Amino acid sequence: MTSSTTKKHTAIEAVLARLIWSGSMLSAILLAAGIVVMLTGSSVTATRFISAGIVTLMATPIIRVLAAGLIFTRERDWLFAVFCLVVLCTLAVGVFLGTSFN
Amino acid sequence: MLISVVEIFIMAIFAGITGSILGLGGGIIIVPALTLIFDIPVRTAVAASTVSIIATSTGAAVAYLNERLTNTRVAIWLEMGTSLGAVCGALIAAWLNQRFLFLLFGLLLSYAGYNMFRHRQEELPSGVTADALSEKLQLSGSYYDRMLAKKVDYQVTGTLTGLVLMFFSGIVASILGIGAGLFKVPAMDQVMRIPFKVSSATSNFMIGVTAVSGAVVYFARGDVDPLVTGPVILGVLVGAMIGAKLMVRLKSSTIRKFFIPLIIYTAIQMFYRGLCK
Repeated sequence: MTSSTTKKHTAIEAVLARLIWSGSMLSAILLAAGIVVMLTGSSVTATRFISAGIVTLMATPIIRVLAAGLIFTRERDWLFAVFCLVVLCTLAVGVFLGTSFN
Repeated sequence: MLISVVEIFIMAIFAGITGSILGLGGGIIIVPALTLIFDIPVRTAVAASTVSIIATSTGAAVAYLNERLTNTRVAIWLEMGTSLGAVCGALIAAWLNQRFLFLLFGLLLSYAGYNMFRHRQEELPSGVTADALSEKLQLSGSYYDRMLAKKVDYQVTGTLTGLVLMFFSGIVASILGIGAGLFKVPAMDQVMRIPFKVSSATSNFMIGVTAVSGAVVYFARGDVDPLVTGPVILGVLVGAMIGAKLMVRLKSSTIRKFFIPLIIYTAIQMFYRGLCK
C-alpha cells in the first residue's frame, strides 16, 4: 500500500470516530437524563428524553455511511462513493417496505 | 422499579461487553434475558434488542476506529450485501420454507464452528494473497496489535464470495431480527482471511448499519418501549465502550475461544427450530 492511501484511510477513520463519539455521548446524556426523570416520577418527560436518545442513537449508523460517502466523494474515490449511496438507498427501501407493509 | 432498572442496566452492560468483543449485536443475550428474567413481552424485547445492536456498534466503534482495527472499505463493500440481503429477506420471508432455512443456517454455523475450532491456536492468517478484486478495491490494511506488540499488515481475499455470504447473512438478520454478527465474523475470518480482531471490529461497524432499517421500523410502529429500551441501550452503550477497550488487549486466539461456544449454541438452536418447531 502506498503512503497516500494510508493517509486517506487515517483521515476517514478519524472523522468517523469523532462523529460517532459525539453521537454516542449526546445519546448517552439524553438516555441518562430520561432514566433519572423516570425514577423520580414523571414518565411523560422521561419518555421524551429517552426517545430523543434513541433517535440520536439510530441516526449514528446512517450518518456514519453518509460521512464516509462524502469523504470518498471528496477524494474522488467514485466507486466507494457509489457503494455508500447503494447502502443508503437500500436502507431507505428497507424502512419504506417495513413501515408500509406491516 | 429502581431495582429492576438497575438489574436491566447491569445485564445490558454485560451484553454490551460480550457483543463488542465478539463483533455481535448481543441479541443472543438480551432477548432471552428480558423475556425470561424480567418478564417483558417478546415484541418489546426484540425491538429493544434491535436498537441495542446499534448501541453495541456505536459504543465500540470509536475505540476500534482509533485503533485502526475497523477496515472501513471492507465494511462499506460488504454492507452492500448485508443491506440488500436484509431487504430481500423481508420481501421473501413469507414464501420461504423457514424450516429448511433454519436447517441450512444450522449447517453453515456448524461448519464455521468446526473451522474455527480447527484454527483455534491461529493468531494471524498467513500466506494470504489478495485477489484481483481486492486489489482493485484496495481492501488491504494494517493495524498495531497491542498484544503482539507489532504492526500487522494484512491482505484480503475471497472478496466476491464474502459479498455473497453477507447477502445471505442479511437475509438471516432480517428474518430472525438479529445483527447476524455470528455469520459475518466467520465469513471475514475464514473466507476473506482477515485477521480475527479486524473481522470482529469490522463486523461491529456493520451490524449497526444493518440494524438501522429494522430499528426505524420498530420505532415507527411503536414497538420500542422507551422505559424498557432506555436502560437497555444505555447499559449496552457503556458495556460496548468497556468491551472495546478490553478487546484490543486480548489475543485473537482468546477471542476465538469465546466465539466457538456461542456459535455451537446458536447452531443447536437453529437445528432445534428447524426440526422440532
